[in-house]
Amino acid sequence: MLKREINLARNIQTKLLNAEIPKLVACELTGTSIPARLIGGDYFDFYPLVDGRIRMVIGDVMGKGIPAAMLMILTRGAFRSAAQSTGGPGDTLTAMNKALYKDFRALRSFVTLLCADWDPKQGTLTFANAGHPLPILLGGNQVSELPKVSGVMLGGLPNQIYEEKQVRIAPNQYVLFYTDGIIEAQNQAGEQFTRERLKKILLENEGKSVQQLEQAVVQSVYQFSNGMNQKDDITMVLLRI
Amino acid sequence: MFEYQMVNDGIKMTVHLKGDMDIEITEVMEEELIPALQKAQEVELNFAAVSFVDSTGIGLLMNLVQHLKEREILVKITHLSEDIYEVFDLLQIPDIIGRDVFSS
Repeated sequence: MLKREINLARNIQTKLLNAEIPKLVACELTGTSIPARLIGGDYFDFYPLVDGRIRMVIGDVMGKGIPAAMLMILTRGAFRSAAQSTGGPGDTLTAMNKALYKDFRALRSFVTLLCADWDPKQGTLTFANAGHPLPILLGGNQVSELPKVSGVMLGGLPNQIYEEKQVRIAPNQYVLFYTDGIIEAQNQAGEQFTRERLKKILLENEGKSVQQLEQAVVQSVYQFSNGMNQKDDITMVLLRI
Repeated sequence: MFEYQMVNDGIKMTVHLKGDMDIEITEVMEEELIPALQKAQEVELNFAAVSFVDSTGIGLLMNLVQHLKEREILVKITHLSEDIYEVFDLLQIPDIIGRDVFSS
């Protein structure tokens, strides 16, 4: 009985999490999330705006399993609602924190989020951060993190204003949004995958499609961990212009 | 693997934390440490032997500190490694639980 309900909960979460990936003209987009347990607490989503921009979000809810999944669904609702009524990613995070703060404090939890708008007409990515790892830019045989922009995780402090930064993304460049489950994946010696290994894999696979690159990262993490049970979900979103 | 040792000098309770702080310590934090520390006057959380804290571990630590502060117990986090402090800083943990909690 309980197992069946867990499986039903998993189906709901999988359907909601695996959001439809918007079809973009002249660029590629993909996303994946692999839960460490039966149900995960990571989240990514896309929201096409009327002017042609795509608002995207990636997040990591504190905790794992069913409790984290419940909070993830709360977060998804707040993002969908805020995305259509706010002008930019910073405002979206402010509105989400306003909507979620009391619930997250009452539940003694929080969520880290990175929210970004891809504007295909201008070729710009505008982003705001609520305590999440910064995305990685890949292109021209170089990798770098996007410029630092900081902000408190949702549920951390009330009435937060989230700063935005903007970068221009050139043709053939990729942007990888990810959760810390990738860089903190452990092998049997207790070593972590690390951001450096992630950057190396990206460099080695530059030129491939976003799906192939995503697969290369997943395979590399699996090979590194070599059967070790992972404690955290692995989630990424890849954009290629 | 996580373990801890508590040393009470009569005024201050020092908790020597050791190992990784992640989801595996949920029960230890909520069912052992919080109840054991709520009658202390002063608590030091010594991180000298903590090598890794993930987002869940940070959340559990925040809950512990906030729980103690609500009971007006003086709490300090000490001997935090630079790597872990960098993660705390990214998450703006000092702004959330108070910069006064962190001592060098």
